[in-house]
Amino acid sequence: MAACCVAAFLCLVFPATARNSAAAKLRGSLVAPLAALQQKAELSRRSFLGHDAAVEIADSVTLRSLRLVGVEEENERLRRLLGLASAVKWGFIPAEALQGRGLGDETTITLSAGKFAGVEPLSPVVVSEGLVGMVERVDNSLSLAIIWPHPDFRVSAMTADGSAFGIVRAHPGQGASRYLLELQGVPLRAQLKPGTLVVASGLGGVYPKGVPIGTVQQEIRTPEGYARSYLVRPAVRLQDVTSVMIVKPARVRAGIENVWARGVAADSAIKGVVAAGDSARRDSTRRDVSRRDSVRRDSVRRDSVRRDSVRRDTVRRVP
Amino acid sequence: MSVAKSLWFAVVLLLLVVLQYTLRPVLAWRAPIDFLTIALLLVAVRARPGVAAAAGFALGLLADSLTPDAFGAGALAMTIVGFGASWLKAAFFADNIALNGIFVFLGKWAFDLIFLVAERRLQGTDLLVQAVLWSPISAAATALMGLLVLLAVRPVLGAPRA
Repeated sequence: MAACCVAAFLCLVFPATARNSAAAKLRGSLVAPLAALQQKAELSRRSFLGHDAAVEIADSVTLRSLRLVGVEEENERLRRLLGLASAVKWGFIPAEALQGRGLGDETTITLSAGKFAGVEPLSPVVVSEGLVGMVERVDNSLSLAIIWPHPDFRVSAMTADGSAFGIVRAHPGQGASRYLLELQGVPLRAQLKPGTLVVASGLGGVYPKGVPIGTVQQEIRTPEGYARSYLVRPAVRLQDVTSVMIVKPARVRAGIENVWARGVAADSAIKGVVAAGDSARRDSTRRDVSRRDSVRRDSVRRDSVRRDSVRRDTVRRVP
Repeated sequence: MSVAKSLWFAVVLLLLVVLQYTLRPVLAWRAPIDFLTIALLLVAVRARPGVAAAAGFALGLLADSLTPDAFGAGALAMTIVGFGASWLKAAFFADNIALNGIFVFLGKWAFDLIFLVAERRLQGTDLLVQAVLWSPISAAATALMGLLVLLAVRPVLGAPRA
């Protein structure tokens, strides 16, 4: 007992270097496995405690990346719409499409622009991909448009090369084919190949000539023996419609048929917008991620104000 | 003690030492269970005071090697506790659960007090709080675990001789 106490006391009063060296020798030999066990136990504890946080981080990263895909798609659509706007130049009203996605909302959309913005009934609603529908009713600040699945939707159409004319309407099918269009009244001599682009012919004065409606999918058999009918895959996917352009009747009369045909010009306009957007994106990535949502909300508010001013400008520029 | 019992005893001691370096860091309690003290007390009640003191010294040095700033403090505390426990075993280590619990509790608390004084790291209020609050809690947790260990090993090793 006395010897042990003296030895322990000596360990306590020895210089730090000697104590450290003795401790190091023990750690390197006898205690090494125990120290390794302790290290593993502490790592296990840390990983156990950090598991929930790691899962939360992984979840938030996944969620953020999923959101990013949606944001990129929306950016792409907005860029194309901006390119379209720069090509149309005047006589249009930008609006947001408010899709209820409920029963009865499948064939109409509410637009966030109304009489005050200069919207008139029978104005065509378009996006960069093509024709969406037509304004049916106009309130002071909102308007209601029928879209291509609507039973009353009719467009005088033709093939892009003008070789065949007909009337496009919603296909009265069941299931998935309910979301297709039908090109009716095509002369028997005009046989269209799948993939043929169908555009508005401009006859009737409601829809501007040249607006893409869709592409021919296949011919369908109908009781009428004097004309052909074709199933047409719509150019516009309604679930992607968020921002639209309402073309004013005066602009329709002036003609915008070259807008969609001028693919190169539109592409260059889009590239310009993309370049501007990229620099803006570089700036925005420097910002704090946590502030992004609030900034986005603010920008939406500013956009709506700016949109009103654009609306006023376009209305003013109508000849 | 027969060879088989001696082997079992060695296994139990080794298990307690391993638990000190595995379970204790995982639990990471503010008032931790001291498995080394339990091991020392198990040795102390089965050995002569001198042997218990030597075992305490060895176990203390083992623990001190991982805390070089207090190198020697653990060895000193374990030596004294081992010797004292072995000397007092006749009084405390009767076949009584409560007495056994108090024995482990006092052993751990005594170890902490000697260690704190020898280490000279804590002073003033910190030393007081550690000595009268956290050390007794740690001693109580150690006593509970010690009782569990004693109950577990008693059927195999038998009651310690007085």
